[in-house]
Amino acid sequence: MKRKDTVKLISADEMEFVIDKDAVMVSQTIRNLLTSPGGFAETKLGEVTFPEISAVILERICQYFYWALQYSRGKETEFHIEPELTLELMMAANYLHT
Amino acid sequence: MSNQKKRNFQIEAFKHRVVVDPKYAEKTWSILEHAIHEIYNHNASGLSFEELYRNAYNMVLHKFGEKLYSGLVATMTAHLKEISKSIEAAQGDLFLEELNRKWNDHNKALQMIRDILMYMDRTYIPNTHKTPVHELGLNLWRDNVIHSSKIQSRLLSMLLELVHRERTGEVIDRGLMRNIIKMLMDLGSSVYQEDFEKPFLEVSAEFYMGESQKFIECCDCGDYLKKAELRLNEEIERVTHYLDVKSEVKITNVVEKEMIANHMMRLVHMENSGLVNMLLDDKYEDLGRMYNLFRRVPNGLSTIRDVMTSHLREIGKQLVTDAEKLKDPVEFVQRLLDEKDKYDSIISQAFSNDKTFQNALNSSFEYFINLNNRSPEFISLFVDDKLRKGLKGVSEEDVEIILDKVMMLFRYLQEKDVFEKYYKQHLAKRLLSGKTVSDDAERSLIVKLKTECGYQFTSKLEGMFTDMKTSQDTMQGFYASHPELTDGPTLVVQVLTTGSWPTQPSITCNLPAETSALCEKFRSYYLGTHTGRRLSWQTNMGTADIKATFGKGQKHELNVSTYQMCVLMLFNNADRLSYKEVEQATGIPASDLKRCLQSMACVKGKNVLRKEPMSKDIGEDDAFFVNDKFTSKFYKVKIGTVVAQKESEPEKQETRQRVEEDRKPQIEAAIKRIESLIERDFLERDNNDRKLYRYLA
Repeated sequence: MKRKDTVKLISADEMEFVIDKDAVMVSQTIRNLLTSPGGFAETKLGEVTFPEISAVILERICQYFYWALQYSRGKETEFHIEPELTLELMMAANYLHT
Repeated sequence: MSNQKKRNFQIEAFKHRVVVDPKYAEKTWSILEHAIHEIYNHNASGLSFEELYRNAYNMVLHKFGEKLYSGLVATMTAHLKEISKSIEAAQGDLFLEELNRKWNDHNKALQMIRDILMYMDRTYIPNTHKTPVHELGLNLWRDNVIHSSKIQSRLLSMLLELVHRERTGEVIDRGLMRNIIKMLMDLGSSVYQEDFEKPFLEVSAEFYMGESQKFIECCDCGDYLKKAELRLNEEIERVTHYLDVKSEVKITNVVEKEMIANHMMRLVHMENSGLVNMLLDDKYEDLGRMYNLFRRVPNGLSTIRDVMTSHLREIGKQLVTDAEKLKDPVEFVQRLLDEKDKYDSIISQAFSNDKTFQNALNSSFEYFINLNNRSPEFISLFVDDKLRKGLKGVSEEDVEIILDKVMMLFRYLQEKDVFEKYYKQHLAKRLLSGKTVSDDAERSLIVKLKTECGYQFTSKLEGMFTDMKTSQDTMQGFYASHPELTDGPTLVVQVLTTGSWPTQPSITCNLPAETSALCEKFRSYYLGTHTGRRLSWQTNMGTADIKATFGKGQKHELNVSTYQMCVLMLFNNADRLSYKEVEQATGIPASDLKRCLQSMACVKGKNVLRKEPMSKDIGEDDAFFVNDKFTSKFYKVKIGTVVAQKESEPEKQETRQRVEEDRKPQIEAAIKRIESLIERDFLERDNNDRKLYRYLA
């Protein structure tokens, strides 16, 4: 059962990640999506599909969201990025404005 | 998107996305264009934000930002032109509502469009210095809708029409006005100013010009000001409800100029209702309103002040030169105090205690009080009256209040030394006749004078008080050392130090034997303890209480002056005395003697003497007898107390002369001081004006 304050992110290979809203708002793009007036399709269903982001990347990104929340609360830890994921992760980050 | 990586890492060649499809840009753009259409048609719910965002993102990433941007401009423009037409088509009052609705729609659409084009806004636009999406949307709205030829003038005239209707009393939709005006403000302050504010101010000026013309023909000053105030408040309220706050000062300036500044003189001088009438009738509310309105315009307050000043000077001048009023000095001063109270009240209640008005009041009083050179004397007489009887039974605080008011008038006097002379004379009389209502009040006034003018001014006055006290002690000492005298007539002596008391010509008269013996005893006693001093009796200032038995045995105690006592005692040894005999025996100077005899022979109820002939005046050939038929209800009869009167002409001249004399050394001293300052380079004379001195740094 989906709780009200979560959003479902779906990767290109149809993996679903259910993430808290606060975490997801770390991405400016997703934030705009959810707060844009007029109600795009995504807001009704509460889910966003990213046909150009793979599950591995998307998963890492979701972890990043939570890390960012923690970091902003003052916990200083490093977010480790596996080198082979770097490029795609950066591109996704650029895309998601995060 | 590339496939999953193998575990061990491989470096692959950096790949650009290859544009396989030459029409890639076209296709992508048309997806977005379609989306924009849907957004404007309120159909966004079917669209995927992610998809649109991704398309725009990719276009920018692949260097098609230009196409995206220009496409946006074209599409939006086209939509706005359509919208413009639909607004134009609206009829009458629905025009503004339609405009407002479409504006709201546009704003919403704009935000959605900006959200999906966010990547372009973040990257392409700053790089190329193009206008960001939101601002672009506002500009396009402004250019295609607001400034469209069919809308621009219609919008303005509708707005002005509504304002006009509201000014004539109709109720309008203020919420709608507020939204439209806010729209103009959002489009830029120059839009607000050019498309609305400037014309609004012009039209308002015309309107208020008309209003003021209409009112000034038919209203009196008070009513006109009420109306002006109403309109002013109305405009301020209008601004808070639906205009830019920066417009407030501009529109109030318009109202102030048209309704007040342009008619200022006419209002102030309006017959029967203008400023002077308001002042005369104490119309605090009207005056307050005038003050508040006029302070908003240049020279407003100075106009009021000037008219008030000249009016005051006029009234004051009349007051001090009106012969009728001058007959009663106490009444005269009271009128001055009343006038001052009146204006103090006006200034505090209506002119918010404005210092400049206080100053104008003070300078006016100073001007006219000094027009009459008897003012110092009259003020002293007023004080004399108060200290003799006027303050009887008055509370301490009220006494202070009255004395402070007197001080205030005193400050206006230019000839303060004249006042001092008279005050000394009057005080002397009060002290010597024991006729002061309150010692505390006397001293309080001396303190105030000292604070105002310094120790020099009051040192002699204080000396007089000291003398009175010392004399009391002396008398006690005298009787203590002469116990054998306690059965005889009681002597009360006040020893006056010459310098402190007003100079009197000291003419001694011939005292009756009993009295002169007693006086001599006192003289030796006093000189015994104060060697090196000289005493001279001031017989013109004393009093006596005499027990008298008349023809039918009626006994009375008479309170008389020393002179009167001398005259009466003569009749212990004679039944009839002629004027000349009395004069010779007593040695009293002629004018005093005549007054003295008159008060005992010609005044009803006090006629202890009888005169032949029974004329009103004392003639040199008159004869005097004791009036055996004298009756009075009272046992104790007071005859002719010496009251301070207005000086006669010759007395006045004399006093003034003495004042002039006293001034000479003061002026000389001042000249010496100035010369010394000039020598020491503290002062220099002005080159052009010989009467001007300048301080040197």
